[in-house]
Amino acid sequence: MSREKLQQLGLDLPLFPVTAVGSFPKPDYLLQGRSDFRKHKITADQLHKLEERATTFWIEQQEELGLDVLVDGEMYRGDMVAYFAENLPGFEQGGLVRSYGNRYYHKPIITGAVEWTRPMTVDWWKFAQNLTQKPVKGMLTGPYTIMDWSFNEHYPDRRATCLALAWVIRREVEALIEAGCKIIQVDEPAMSVRPEELPVLIEGLQAVTQGLSAYFITHACYGAFEHIYPDMLKAPVDNFDLEMSNSDLDMLDLFRKNPFTKDISFGVTDSHSHKIEDVATVRRRVEQALTVLPKEQVWLDPDCGLKTRSVEESIGKLRVIVEAAKSLRS
Amino acid sequence: MKLLLANHSSYPRIGGTRELQQLRRTIAAWERKEANDETLHAAQNALVHAAIKEQEEAGLDVLTDGLIRWYDPISHLAGKMDGIEISGLLRFFDTNSYFRQPVAKAEIHAKNGLTVSEFEFATTATQKPVKAVLTGPYTLARHTIAEHAPYKEIGPLTHAYAEVLAKEISALAARGCQIIQLDEPAILKHRADFSVLQRAVQFLSRHKGKATLSLAVYFGDPQPLYERLQELPIDMLALDFTYNPKLAERVVALGAQKPLALGLVDGRNTRLEDAAKLAHLIDRILLRVKGEFCHLQPSCGLEYLPRDRAAAKLKLLQQVRAHLKGSK
Repeated sequence: MSREKLQQLGLDLPLFPVTAVGSFPKPDYLLQGRSDFRKHKITADQLHKLEERATTFWIEQQEELGLDVLVDGEMYRGDMVAYFAENLPGFEQGGLVRSYGNRYYHKPIITGAVEWTRPMTVDWWKFAQNLTQKPVKGMLTGPYTIMDWSFNEHYPDRRATCLALAWVIRREVEALIEAGCKIIQVDEPAMSVRPEELPVLIEGLQAVTQGLSAYFITHACYGAFEHIYPDMLKAPVDNFDLEMSNSDLDMLDLFRKNPFTKDISFGVTDSHSHKIEDVATVRRRVEQALTVLPKEQVWLDPDCGLKTRSVEESIGKLRVIVEAAKSLRS
Repeated sequence: MKLLLANHSSYPRIGGTRELQQLRRTIAAWERKEANDETLHAAQNALVHAAIKEQEEAGLDVLTDGLIRWYDPISHLAGKMDGIEISGLLRFFDTNSYFRQPVAKAEIHAKNGLTVSEFEFATTATQKPVKAVLTGPYTLARHTIAEHAPYKEIGPLTHAYAEVLAKEISALAARGCQIIQLDEPAILKHRADFSVLQRAVQFLSRHKGKATLSLAVYFGDPQPLYERLQELPIDMLALDFTYNPKLAERVVALGAQKPLALGLVDGRNTRLEDAAKLAHLIDRILLRVKGEFCHLQPSCGLEYLPRDRAAAKLKLLQQVRAHLKGSK
């Protein structure tokens, strides 16, 4: 079904399309540039040039490695929720809170009605797409995750917050489609945090995608999916991008009990390990996947965004995935 | 009835100033092997001091060390036990924070103390009572992958953790810890396992000495278990009131057979509660509680809030108490 949809959209992808989840590490010159910008040592234009240089670097890397569906690498974003909060009226930037280990992020605070006033990602998508003939994914964070990862001082409850955000994200999806984007990923890593709220997440994604012509992917990771599977398959997307390797492919047991009915971007390398897996390991993971999934449904990528890895580690992990995909195709 | 103001457990380990970001910088340097253990411990100590100072400034009666040294609530304890290996990241309940998952590879044993040195350090930083916090055996077990065959069932694994924690509780009590909080949020998600928790708490309560043993449940609605939780051999029950707006009325209706730690201030959202409204509710609850004292505390650890908001929540506790008409 989804292969047909891809073809209808004019996308002819090989077996085991290789993609990336979204973020890549920022090269040192960009990290320095962001630091200098915060200290008012460089202008916004100068920072923008560095972001363009880094985006170009990552597009070239993905081309060279042989990925099939590319991402812009999110060189202009600090954090997947904070970026949207910074660009949407209704949010204020909150202080730092810890994510895990020694990693912190600015958790936004919703202090008023959230509004979409202008595209937030479209210019970057156009910039990246103009650098390659391969399709570049539009990358958005989903309404449920933005709601869950923000403090709320305005809306009466979580559902109202999620739906208000859904209409905002829908406007961004419409803008991406209008610009020519055909594959749009709406990340919902908070998908499994409150299983009883899965209907709210699905309602939010329906508001985002309903009636719009694109191939939709959603990414989720590091959750207790056993509590929401198979109901999560009701989410109106074509492809679930799932972290599988960090959790030792344990979701395959769920798929055996209830068939996975959508396409899957199957995480074949651990994004939170410095170790670069070898091709045989990746192949073995795919072969295990194929014991329960039809090969036509399977895309390959890392478990999660790679921004916490080094540039070299990220390239290494992508390289083994591409090599494994090539060997599997042959 | 006396209402004491308490911190729940964790406190932010970062803030807006350079001084409050020292620990983050030091850990990063330590991970790159550019800082040694001594430097790391000094940075941790400084942040514990800062957390305690802010709790004192907020007028709290019962403090914690902010769990500043904990990587996460699971691996910090389990990782110090023989038989356990620490594995990949997993989301911690419905928070946007992650823990490293323990894998039980062999029989679990205590290696050294888990938290006693942390408790002792905190007591040197304040004259106020310091509450020790331990993640409970059931919650540890629920978050562990059991590869060791005898632990395949949740009961034996929980008991194995309880045996290690019993020694820790004894050690804390022997060092003068007056209140030990056992965190068992997982039971709210797995109510059918209540008897497993019950057996573990019965076992642990025999090791508490003169300490007050408090059981804390949060990240869920405790109402379905409220009456059964009352029957556990604990000295205090800490409840999260934020997941069910009707819970407070239920407590008023049913009363409480033992002191409560009232988690009425939301530790997960920045919106500040109305102090007068909370005080009115607490006045009604306290009339229905048996015992000489209750605690008022955040619904959960405060490390899910930015530091300025966490401090504001603690100060709110004082404002709430000032509004009470009855007990103070």
